[in-house]
Amino acid sequence: MKKSKFLINGMRKHSLPWLMLAPFLILIVIFFFLPIILIAVNAFTDMDSALQWTFNGIDNFKKMLLDPNMPEILKNTFIYVFFTLAINVLFGLVLGLLTSYFIQKESVGLLFRTIWMLPRISPPVVYVLLWLWFFDPSPYGILNSLRALVDLPPGEWLSSNPKTAIVLANGMIGASFGMIIFSSAIKSIPENLFQAAKVDGASQWSIIQDIIIPAIRWPLMFVTMWQLLSLLTSYEYILLLTGGGPMVESEVLSLYSYHKAFESFEYGYGSAVSLVLVVIALGFSAIIWKVFGMKKMMGTSRVE
Amino acid sequence: MKKSVLSLVSFLTVAAAALTGCQKQSEADAQPADNGVVTISAWSEGAEVTRLTNLEKASEKLNEELKSQGKDIQVKVEPKSFDGGWDQYAKQFMLSAKAGKAPDIYITPHETIGWLADGNYIMPLDELRDSKEYADVFPKLWDAASYNGHIWGALQDNEARPVFYNKNILKDLGWNETEIEELPEKVRRGEFTLDDMTKLAEEVVKQGKAKYGVIHRPVNGADFHYFNYLFGGQLYSEEDNKIVLDKSAVGKQLAYHYELAQKKLLPDKLISMEWKNVHRMVVNGETLFYYGGIWNVFNWGNDNFHDQLGKVDAKWVNENFGMMLVPAAEKGGEPITLSHPFLYTVNAKTKHPDLTKRLLELVADPKLQTEHNLQTFHLPVTERAAEDPEFKTDLTLGNIAYMSEYTTFLPNHEGFTKYSNVFWNSLQAVELGKQTPDQALESMEAQLKVDLGEDLKIVE
Repeated sequence: MKKSKFLINGMRKHSLPWLMLAPFLILIVIFFFLPIILIAVNAFTDMDSALQWTFNGIDNFKKMLLDPNMPEILKNTFIYVFFTLAINVLFGLVLGLLTSYFIQKESVGLLFRTIWMLPRISPPVVYVLLWLWFFDPSPYGILNSLRALVDLPPGEWLSSNPKTAIVLANGMIGASFGMIIFSSAIKSIPENLFQAAKVDGASQWSIIQDIIIPAIRWPLMFVTMWQLLSLLTSYEYILLLTGGGPMVESEVLSLYSYHKAFESFEYGYGSAVSLVLVVIALGFSAIIWKVFGMKKMMGTSRVE
Repeated sequence: MKKSVLSLVSFLTVAAAALTGCQKQSEADAQPADNGVVTISAWSEGAEVTRLTNLEKASEKLNEELKSQGKDIQVKVEPKSFDGGWDQYAKQFMLSAKAGKAPDIYITPHETIGWLADGNYIMPLDELRDSKEYADVFPKLWDAASYNGHIWGALQDNEARPVFYNKNILKDLGWNETEIEELPEKVRRGEFTLDDMTKLAEEVVKQGKAKYGVIHRPVNGADFHYFNYLFGGQLYSEEDNKIVLDKSAVGKQLAYHYELAQKKLLPDKLISMEWKNVHRMVVNGETLFYYGGIWNVFNWGNDNFHDQLGKVDAKWVNENFGMMLVPAAEKGGEPITLSHPFLYTVNAKTKHPDLTKRLLELVADPKLQTEHNLQTFHLPVTERAAEDPEFKTDLTLGNIAYMSEYTTFLPNHEGFTKYSNVFWNSLQAVELGKQTPDQALESMEAQLKVDLGEDLKIVE
């Protein structure tokens, strides 16, 4: 009795914040929770082109275990996420250092950062089109014209090295995200630390290693985690660049779910694949949370 | 974050919302039409707009008919044409059907009637078969419109998939005019076989008369499956209503593609090329044979594929290319082709079933068929339309009309899309040399067992 009175009082006290939060909570429920619940339910049906909710137990998951494509797709997913993530984070870091530490003039740094942001603001189809021209198998493709200059025969890049192509295309566009976060983090390092290091005769390398990297530890982890999760579930650049082919050589789990649901109209099976992806993403989140000690990052600010 | 999940789910949400919402809507709409005007909506996909304009013309006739019967109704056709992929088009229809907004007439390739019928999207149209307008349909074509013992669509058109051969290359090889012109007939009689075709292609490439011996479509499609029939296989078992994996025929099929690739008769990595480059290679005489479709004549006239001439007309095509059936697998055997008729299907929930059906009878008018056929290089579905003088004198179509006698179809079972996707992967594997035909067949079997499950029948 006492407890419920307390609750009501609490609710009255907090009614304004709740009211303010309500629109966002509703959006989150509709666009984040409901989808996952629908996916979870649908994963146990054999919904096909007839769009009927016919429950079939764990058949979809059994099917996934037997699916001969699965091992290769999982391997591709791992390779794709690992290497793209490496480019995203490391190259993003290099860009961040270049445009905010080595180039001290803000206007020049900003110009370079803006150039690197261009792919982000152009539609994916346009961005991928540029890569398609770059890899074009005809002698007129950009890469092949460059090879022609040194008398090398034209290559069939997208069919001979599809994984390299998708990693490069995704890595380049993803690096700009890290770049922005890292540059602002580097900018916020107190200037006197650099001055002191220089007075002590520290090399550039040791400034990076001993001052910058430790100072941007949290942004580094945040970018790694964020990019890992988005790479696991993004597929649009692969779909546009190689379509997962040739065969399933560049097919990743998220694209497989798309293909099953929207090309073969196996909505149930596609949902099951998506559900597995959700579980994998949750698993990774938990691991990173623990290993990186993210709780500390989310905690109260420790700056100064 | 989870984009794939999101897109799948937003789709499901819409579908679920639509499922609950559609009931009220259709009741509300079942009011008598305004001012006696009944609107019949129709969807089509692709460049062949005559599929829709013919419906509009047929509606004029229907209106005259209604007037003479003293009925106070006028029919208006509301056409909508889609661009983009066929799977997008199908998806649009699924969703709008669940939302109660599907068109009355859905124009679709015949092999989709399996899922359309199984999902109760369309209504059976068995009575069309007895109507006088469809009385003289080429009997074999009804197979393409049948599924589970019913007719599900009004036949709209038909086509042929001939093998194009380059006359100039043969001339270069020393063939005389008569030999070149007689080739289609020799194929028809089973004297010139698939092996002969491969040998000829080899000779041409070896002597440097052409860069390539054979070119086929660069993307997945219906063409590949005529080889299955050619090697005595089957794709569908009607009695079990199952997709068939005919291991011996598919093995031969894969071996054929493997041979073409190993002998370097195909362009390297043909399967990753773009359509426009394939058209360019064919039109510019880089290949002796091309497994094409009759509508390619329409394509070549619409785009600048020829390096010097740009767009080429039907006359040019006929002067430079011959068209033949796919040669028989062995001497004296039957040559083959495959066609892919289009159907007018009728929404199961249409409010005007009788008017729509009458409209579909009127659209089979031979004149209207001919208009579509001549403009888009398709073949008629009825004998009267085949006898149309304008059609008969058409340079291209007149020469290949006989191919309908040798035609086959894809199965209408909904599982065929899955089969065709799996087959396409195996075909890529053998052409890229990543698997031998035996290995490719093995992985195909394993994948089909998973993808089709109960719907698969394996024939050794």
